Amino acid sequence: MSPTRHNNNLPNPNSWTISTDLDGMDLDPSDFGSSIPLKKVPNGDVFEASRAGDVDRLKYLLESGVNVNARDQWDSVALYYACLAGHLDAARMLLESGAICSEHTFDGDRCHYAALNLKVRKLLKAFEARPPPLGPLQAALRDTFLACAGNREYSDHPDYGVSSNGGSSSYHFPPDVVFVVQGSPIEAHRVILSARSPFFKRKFETDWKDRKEVRFAREKLSYTALYSLIHFFYSDRLEIAVDDMEDLVRICKVCKCDSLQRILEKELIHQKFAEYKALRDVDNSQKRFILQGLSLPEEDRLPAALHQILQISLANSTREHNQDNNVEELSYNVGAMQINDVVDDLADVCVRVDKNIFRCHQVVLASRSEYFRARLSRMKDFYEGKDALPVDALPCLDEHDLRTEAFEKMIEYMYTDGLKDIDPDQAEEMFDAASRYLLFPLKRAVADVLLPHLEMASPAELCHWLILSDMYGVFKIREYCLDTIACNFETFADTLEFRAMLLTLPPPSGDSSLRTTAPSAPGAVVNTDQANLLDDLREKWLEAEAAELDKRDESALLFDKRLEMLVLVAEREKSDGAPADDIHDGCKSPVSPPTSFPMPSKQEERV
Amino acid sequence: MSGQKKKNFQIEAFKHRVMVDPKYAEKTWKILEHAIQEIYNHNASGLSFEELYRNAYNMVLHKFGEKLYSGLVTTMTSHLSDISKSIEAAQGELFLEELNRKWLDHNKALQMIRDILMYMDRTFIPSTHKTPVHELGLNLWRDVVIHSSKTQIRLQDTLLELVHRERNGEVINRGLMRSIIKMLMDLGSSVYQDDFEQHFLEVSANFYGLESQQYIESCDCGDYLKKAERRLNEEMERVSHYLDARSLEKITNVVEKEMIENHMHRLVHMENSGLVNMLVNDKYDDLGRKYNLFRRVANGGLLIVRDVMTSYIRDTGKQLVTDPERLKDPVDFVQRLLDLKDKYDKIISLAFNNDKTFQNALNSSFEYFINLNARSPEFISLFVDDKLRKGLKGVSEEDVEVVLDKVMMLFRYLQEKDVFEKYYKQHLAKRLLAGKTVSDDAERSLIVKLKTECGYQFTSKLEGMFTDMKTSQDTMQGFHESLGAELGDSPSLTVQVLTTGSWPTQPSATCNLPAEILGVCEKFRSYYLGTHTGRRLSWQTNMGTADLKAIFGKGQKHELNVSTYQMCVLMLFNNADRLSYKEIEQATEIPASDLKRCLQSLACARVKSVLRKEPIGRDIAEDDNFSVNDKFSSKLYKVRISTVAAQRESEPENQETRQRVEEDRKPQIEAAIVRIMKSRRVLDHNNIVAEVIKQLQSRFLPNPVVIKKRIESLIEREFLERDKNDRKLYRYLA
Repeated sequence: MSPTRHNNNLPNPNSWTISTDLDGMDLDPSDFGSSIPLKKVPNGDVFEASRAGDVDRLKYLLESGVNVNARDQWDSVALYYACLAGHLDAARMLLESGAICSEHTFDGDRCHYAALNLKVRKLLKAFEARPPPLGPLQAALRDTFLACAGNREYSDHPDYGVSSNGGSSSYHFPPDVVFVVQGSPIEAHRVILSARSPFFKRKFETDWKDRKEVRFAREKLSYTALYSLIHFFYSDRLEIAVDDMEDLVRICKVCKCDSLQRILEKELIHQKFAEYKALRDVDNSQKRFILQGLSLPEEDRLPAALHQILQISLANSTREHNQDNNVEELSYNVGAMQINDVVDDLADVCVRVDKNIFRCHQVVLASRSEYFRARLSRMKDFYEGKDALPVDALPCLDEHDLRTEAFEKMIEYMYTDGLKDIDPDQAEEMFDAASRYLLFPLKRAVADVLLPHLEMASPAELCHWLILSDMYGVFKIREYCLDTIACNFETFADTLEFRAMLLTLPPPSGDSSLRTTAPSAPGAVVNTDQANLLDDLREKWLEAEAAELDKRDESALLFDKRLEMLVLVAEREKSDGAPADDIHDGCKSPVSPPTSFPMPSKQEERV
Repeated sequence: MSGQKKKNFQIEAFKHRVMVDPKYAEKTWKILEHAIQEIYNHNASGLSFEELYRNAYNMVLHKFGEKLYSGLVTTMTSHLSDISKSIEAAQGELFLEELNRKWLDHNKALQMIRDILMYMDRTFIPSTHKTPVHELGLNLWRDVVIHSSKTQIRLQDTLLELVHRERNGEVINRGLMRSIIKMLMDLGSSVYQDDFEQHFLEVSANFYGLESQQYIESCDCGDYLKKAERRLNEEMERVSHYLDARSLEKITNVVEKEMIENHMHRLVHMENSGLVNMLVNDKYDDLGRKYNLFRRVANGGLLIVRDVMTSYIRDTGKQLVTDPERLKDPVDFVQRLLDLKDKYDKIISLAFNNDKTFQNALNSSFEYFINLNARSPEFISLFVDDKLRKGLKGVSEEDVEVVLDKVMMLFRYLQEKDVFEKYYKQHLAKRLLAGKTVSDDAERSLIVKLKTECGYQFTSKLEGMFTDMKTSQDTMQGFHESLGAELGDSPSLTVQVLTTGSWPTQPSATCNLPAEILGVCEKFRSYYLGTHTGRRLSWQTNMGTADLKAIFGKGQKHELNVSTYQMCVLMLFNNADRLSYKEIEQATEIPASDLKRCLQSLACARVKSVLRKEPIGRDIAEDDNFSVNDKFSSKLYKVRISTVAAQRESEPENQETRQRVEEDRKPQIEAAIVRIMKSRRVLDHNNIVAEVIKQLQSRFLPNPVVIKKRIESLIEREFLERDKNDRKLYRYLA
């Protein structure tokens, strides 16, 4: 099954949020709890928090962006302390934030040796076997890189090769430049390299401007080192054999990747001393060094680099509303003008949204969105591919039904994984764009931004969001709304909008076999996408309000009747049109439905 | 109705779309349906992908996914039934081409439809557990087009017909074939198997069953195999050209079964061209083909070949070793064995892929028939003797090694290795004493080989012989240095001191040496015993040689190279012109048989006889008289008088050697019995016999009767006793 089956409501497997299923690990949830009360270190750093097992402090520190793989003055990483002290939950939190535990790395080996007990070791093993935690942007670009035929051979990680976009798309986006080093090819995309390295940027503007293939004849240039570096450019994750590190430092010097070079040099010195500390019999050729993007200064990470590229592109994009001009003409003029004047953004595609033209990069669009991938490669037979474009003009994609602001936000997310200044009013547009362009991580990002705003939302607005989130499949928002409605059911029942909404929803399933009267296990995955909203609402309501187990069926029956009644009321309101006000007024006084039918509540039961 | 609130509660959100229009879904679907039709009609260039995608997206978004999906199924189905009809309408040859073209069209259209409906494919379909668009398209194609009642059978028949025509040598369109088969595979492996492969295999089985029947009636084995091989290659090629690679094994199995396995016995035993004939005529190609084809037959294809080969080798070998003609010339006998071995080695390496099982079969056959002839050990030793005496002159070292290796190989087959040892020792002694060895290196190399083969004890005596030769040289040097002046002009003497036991001594029949020699001999004896006290020297006159200077009637001077016995006889003629047999016998005291042989060689040689015999005749009688042949002449100064010594042993000698071997075996068997009993303490008769045979089989195969006798002898000497209760059990005493 393709992992995307649950994409719209479950975390994307590559995005690495905390998930409850740790396959292949027979650790009980109870293992994570601690038997003794843990010390709190409210002002401690990440090392102290890990050593003490102070999960709250640790969570706060990690969310504030501390480098999880940093070493302290005793050469130890935070994970080392957590393993040493046997704090499973702290260790897991660190691992989920990208702490390195791979074998043959200095820190990874130390953590394995230091693991207090078998449980800790099992946890480390389980995380070692998983794909590295990467952001959606990094994961998508890495997939694009690894899918290039020339690169696949070298990649010895079978799990990396699996396309995260599901089995149906074995297609990959083709590279636009090939480097040949020591006889082996490395395929890459100009814009990524330019974004990450001033050296490549300059070269692509000058010497290599029109070349598809660049051959390096110098013997000294190491293929594995360059491959690691380019892989790093795409994924913000560097994995390299210690033996190759000196080569890589030299390459970094040429490529002007200063911060990376500094870290590597420091690490090289450290490796020399590390030999005394590590086990002697570890073969040097096996030793690896892994660097997460987090260890770099923020401005040197992939999102920042692409953000810069995006800024340049946007600056070059025309935003003038040349209403008089024929649209066709405009695109041609613009295309020609852009090619002649501007080259420093390396844009290779234009997107026209609402009469504005955005200069973009095919590789980013195609990596992030399956829609664009199809659009950029398989349009021959459609109208869009009918006219051969002038050779010197950029291909231009027309996107309708989309507002410029939403598109801008969207491409910002596509380039940087970041989402700034989302207005709740804009959220709906963003959901639409995310769904339409199959950018499922964006939905979650928007949801995260939106969620704080919902706390202040009125019941009417919540109804609105419930409908929207159900439509766009935004699991998080939908759950939130349902929870709120279930807990405050009577308040909602009083609102006109809620009743009006009931009319638009499909009726609850009459099939009683679908009703689960037993409380569902916490955390169990319910396939909510196809589920009926009202069914889910009943579940929530039962969880919140219902009586003891043996009375659940009765409670459910009561709820169904109440719903029926509300629907009747809503229908009457709709046909009358006017009486809505009456009901609305009634809101202030206790509800008085036509037939008095008090809702049982827990309090009443107990009385 | 408060306007403010209404605005907040606007499901039909921010754009012009949606619910307002109750016919929205219907309209949108019409657009999409039209698009799908246009795609199938190759008219897609008028369609905007972006718009279509947007429409499909909105439909799914607003919960019309179900409508979209079922609409897709209906539309596609109806299109495919149209296609199906047009395919069915295609005539004859065009059928496949039409099918292929439509399939390619469908694939392309399917891709485009999938792109348009991508949103549905990614969200709606997984969550409702429906079939993804691409798969749906394939399934519909399968059900509507391929499995339509008319097409299914027709497709099958057409494909099989094409294969049949290709088998009959016609050229068919393989590209078309490949794409059709590929289509079946794309539709799922079960479609390929059910709709094509299964029938293909059945038809092939019939075809090859008939063909093989026909061939086997009309062809000889070699031709048949060639044809079978060609068919097999054709089928493999067919698979690689246009079938699924997984069919390879199945179809080759069919061919193997029909063409080879069913006719296996007949092929092997075919008159005039079967396996035996191939072996006789060294038909490496045919044999190789046979091996490769029969190897493919799972159970026992090669077994038959191997059995027939083994029994044939055994027959020919048996004939060879039991043929009385061959017994006359041992060297030729062994050479033939070697040739036979070479022949089959070559066959196995060239045709049978150096198959281990075949090598084993060959070895066991040789072992079987070589031991059928009791004289094989002797002959092999004689062959070596011949090679080392003269055969290896002027041959490079590598070639010598090759010959020796071959001999060792025959030696390995021998069961009575101790008999070989016996003979080898005799022959080696003769070579050494007569100074006839061509190459010391070759001798030593053979001994090293024997040593690695049979261990130290086997060759220790042989090595002792070499040591004796060496020390004798030193002794003689010492002798001449210390007594050189004293000896004066008396005949020069070369003595070889042989250690008793290391050499095959015959009961020493001494003779009266001439006085001149006797003097020197006595001097040597005193010299030798002076340096080595406590030793005894006895003269083996039957093994020596002598060089005599002789002047014949007309003053011809010659140096005669003769044996010691001959020397003694000739020396007598220094003092007499004419001697009778009796006189000679009295004077020399040479044993009668040796004397006769020695006189025969002196007097009865056809051209260069030194003595003249009266009356003239080939045999020596007791009352013959001898005189010096004054007319002796030779072109050479040095003349070698060869002894009439049978190379091959005469019958009584042979018996004697046998007997000695048997005698030698006795202590070995006894030693083995004692070793076994010492460790086991108590053992029953059968087990003793089995263990003894096991221990000794590297040297010879002991006869159970002999073993029994040895046990009895040991009981007599109170090494063993019979158990008092169980007479079959032996108990170790002492």
